[in-house]
Amino acid sequence: MESQETGVQKLVTRTTALINLLFFGRLGDFSKDVPATIEASTPAEIRQRLSADYPALVKELSEPQVLVSVNQMIVGWDQPLADGSEVAFLPPVTGG
Amino acid sequence: MSLNSIRIQTHDFDLAGEYQQLRELSSTVGAVVTFTGLVRDFELDGSIDSLSLQHYPGMTETLLQEIVDQANKRWNLIGSTVIHRVGELLPRDQIVFVGVASQHRADAFEAAQFVMDYLKTKATFWKQVSQDGKQHWVASKDSDIDAVARWDANND
Repeated sequence: MESQETGVQKLVTRTTALINLLFFGRLGDFSKDVPATIEASTPAEIRQRLSADYPALVKELSEPQVLVSVNQMIVGWDQPLADGSEVAFLPPVTGG
Repeated sequence: MSLNSIRIQTHDFDLAGEYQQLRELSSTVGAVVTFTGLVRDFELDGSIDSLSLQHYPGMTETLLQEIVDQANKRWNLIGSTVIHRVGELLPRDQIVFVGVASQHRADAFEAAQFVMDYLKTKATFWKQVSQDGKQHWVASKDSDIDAVARWDANND
């Protein structure tokens, strides 16, 4: 069983936030095997961290029309992320 | 204070009932404009079997509210209703409804078109069509972006 001290140590040493990931529309087809959470400090870093294992997805994420939201607000790719943030990647919308 | 209703739902809606609700909002209602969007039976070069609509729960409602708020700032409105269906739909199904009530017709006409134009380019919905047993995501249209740019250009 993990001691409480170890847990505290983990919190202190971690420099990036644990982020919940969402991919919508066609991006969902490229992200089926992507983990639900990732550690990163900005959306741009999420994209960078995924590039080795998911090149096809990252190519899609790099399209200029793809927007990123944090906790359901559209933000820039350099937006600092807090622990537990929900980051969603949004291709051009096609409702109506 | 305007009376606005925003609903995202899987089930169908009743045009007559929605019109009636807008009509009865106030005795000052002098105009009701409604728009209903239907699922076309074709996309690009072929007919479609069905349509699947995905959205981002929570964010979609927030974005639609922002669009309706903007419409209320630009025009003198008494009330409005926006309904968008999600999930599985078939050709000829009703998919979207925008209804606007105002004292005078110009406000209702323009606001209804404004809400639809912004909904098409800002609200977080994504369409996937099924054609010959294959699914593909619908691409966004430049004409929709042009339609919104027109309102932006007119904004004083």
